[in-house]
Amino acid sequence: MKGYHDIVGDGGSGILDQVAELRSRITDGLAGVRNLVAVGSGKGGVGKSTLTLHLAGALRARGLRIAILDADFNGPSQARMGGVQQAVFVPGTHKVSLPRTSDGIAVFSMGSVIPESEALDFESAAHGESHTWRATREFSLLGEILASFEWGEIDLLLFDLPPGAERTVQYADFLEPRTSFVLVTIPSDVARGVVARSAAALSKGSHRILGYVENMSGYYCRDCNAVKPLFLSSDPVALDVPCLGTIPFDPELARHCDLGIPFTALRDTPVGRGLDQVAQRLLDAL
Amino acid sequence: MKFLCVPCDTPMKLQTVAPPERGSLSIVYACPECGYEMAMLTNAYETQAVQSLGVRIGPDSDSTTTAPSGSTCPFSAMIPGTEDARGDGAEPAPVQWTAAAEARLAKIPEFVRPMARTGIERFARDKGIFEVDEQILDEARDFFGM
Repeated sequence: MKGYHDIVGDGGSGILDQVAELRSRITDGLAGVRNLVAVGSGKGGVGKSTLTLHLAGALRARGLRIAILDADFNGPSQARMGGVQQAVFVPGTHKVSLPRTSDGIAVFSMGSVIPESEALDFESAAHGESHTWRATREFSLLGEILASFEWGEIDLLLFDLPPGAERTVQYADFLEPRTSFVLVTIPSDVARGVVARSAAALSKGSHRILGYVENMSGYYCRDCNAVKPLFLSSDPVALDVPCLGTIPFDPELARHCDLGIPFTALRDTPVGRGLDQVAQRLLDAL
Repeated sequence: MKFLCVPCDTPMKLQTVAPPERGSLSIVYACPECGYEMAMLTNAYETQAVQSLGVRIGPDSDSTTTAPSGSTCPFSAMIPGTEDARGDGAEPAPVQWTAAAEARLAKIPEFVRPMARTGIERFARDKGIFEVDEQILDEARDFFGM
């Protein structure tokens, strides 16, 4: 009697062929992207999205062509922060054109598709059992986005990853092997501990970890024009990856994010200088 | 998943897929040798597992195969500016699409299609134009800074 591997095809749908075709479309769509960098952490609330957008701004200010894919489908923030919440996606001749921030960064974010008063939802045959299928559906959506949008000829595509150490690894498994990772932490032992776990999990795969960025590294007081301590750690958890730089917390940065004001407005501040340093070290590492 | 007709030792071919009913798909396979037919009836978890992969289920020869989810956009009800979500009661002037413009729209992912259509039609109306063609699409790209 024939076994599974003796039979060519599946008798109809060609499901494996469809999956392979999507993979091929993704590869074609990203052919003009010189570097893929995923910004993750494992820990939530450390400023991954803020760092992603403003790091993109710092790179853009150097004349590089940059795009961001907001892969946090359930908590998208790049649309608001990049000022493209009201963007209209226009079909090009082959793919969908991407909206751009005022400083020219192409952005895809679910925040441009779904209003903030709504949550991302999918049709489901298995009602109330989303834990059994939801992650698969979201990665299918990610594949469709990568394959269908016009990334073009660019220097760098930044992925803004959702929180969760296991999610970071899932994205590593899904994204092309040439994708490198930047991890974001804050100077708390709790955050560094989670980021250390993410780094350990990622190191089991073939993806490069370029380094980590310490966000909220002190508090920038505009009155004193000085950076003061924000988190006090006596014995910080070691991270066995290079530090790409430190970014102080600046309430003005948070305000800029809410209003969608680009990086250039903060360039001559400790935050701007920190981001510029991270940009340089990132480029050196790539 | 593959099906084998054991008496004939021949792979079975997918014949038909019925749309999901209460979360279950009915997929009929037949043996090309003896004609024996069998149906695979999925439970909701199995239906959803296939649905989540974003693949089409159907026989080789059917190019309009039935997706397990049907063809409705799962996002359309929550996308701002779509007909369902507009909610202001006003009927905007109808805008026609040329076949070429429709073809371009059809290439984009289903989840952004309603939003793209609405935004482009609004752009056209604002210009006093009531037919979207490829030139309008290109102008919209420029207008929206793409």
